[in-house]
Amino acid sequence: MKKILLYCYIAILLYGVTVNVYGQEQKDIEILKEKIANKVSELRKENNKAISGRVFETETGFLKIKIQRQEEYLIKLDDALTKYYTIAGNEAKEIKKENISKNDYIIVNGVIHDKTVDANSVFIDEEYLVDSGKISQVDKDNYLLKVVTSSKEEFNLEIETSTKQMILNIKTLEVERTGFSKIKEGDTVHFVVKKTSETSKDNRYSTIKILIIPQEYFIK
Amino acid sequence: MKKETIVAIILGLLLGGMVAFFLITKTSEKELEKSKAIAPTSTLNQEKVAVVSGYQNLEISQPQDEEIVDKEMVTISGKVEKNSLIVIQSPIKEVILNADNNSFQTDFPLALGENVIKIVAYPHSQLLRSQEKELRVYYLKNEL
Repeated sequence: MKKILLYCYIAILLYGVTVNVYGQEQKDIEILKEKIANKVSELRKENNKAISGRVFETETGFLKIKIQRQEEYLIKLDDALTKYYTIAGNEAKEIKKENISKNDYIIVNGVIHDKTVDANSVFIDEEYLVDSGKISQVDKDNYLLKVVTSSKEEFNLEIETSTKQMILNIKTLEVERTGFSKIKEGDTVHFVVKKTSETSKDNRYSTIKILIIPQEYFIK
Repeated sequence: MKKETIVAIILGLLLGGMVAFFLITKTSEKELEKSKAIAPTSTLNQEKVAVVSGYQNLEISQPQDEEIVDKEMVTISGKVEKNSLIVIQSPIKEVILNADNNSFQTDFPLALGENVIKIVAYPHSQLLRSQEKELRVYYLKNEL
């Protein structure tokens, strides 16, 4: 009986020691993993850059985007590290990778090397075009402004009831609200339009807002 | 032929050559002066150079293009020709400044995500062209 008890005691002791050693090892591994993850995160933050463009290819593990300058970038996605969001107003809501589809406009935050980005986070956002130019034609019937920019690009701006229309008061240099009837050919216009995935015919856009600099400002 | 005759011929040729050289040089100088009168004067050219070299181009000191910030406000500063009208526009805000000196600075709000900011400077002098810069500033909260 004593012998059995002794064997039992030795067995329990051995089991205890093994569990303890194994547990300690697991703990050490976890701490090491955490340290490595922290270091990687720190390094990533240091080298973090952002880039934005429209998705033209989606595959498991990567995306391909075309940025403003028509250059292509490969976005590498990491199942464990990359997070996905959609921006609505001043809030970012977390989404799943599957929610990102072709033609979405995205911002990618990550480490950029050459034309490849190791993505930390991907945000679906809106694409805006902010530009300025001279008004070459005012179509009062269709509420349309034809604008030529300094790079000789031509835009057709649709002025809607929702378009915020402002004008510079050339005496006070304050910005005031204005109406379509006060806009003249030869005035300078600063405008904001929302770009979509569909290519706009004749560079025709529904305008979000305009700021008119009357030509009189430049006649001194 | 006598020795004196040969010396006289050589001296005559040398003298003739010298006179011819003198006449050709003088004629070409006169022609050059005439053509100078038609072209813009050197003084005018110097004045032009002075105007162009004294002109301050639009330069943005901060923020940098494609910069990531974690605050909803950014300071835009830079250099510009004195007395220029500066228009800063983004989808959420527009600011108009009159640069009293060669530099400008203003606080500008940002929307979450990408902020396309267009900065245009209209110089006071009509002889100078307007200049523009475009910045993409990303406002991404730290916790994201």
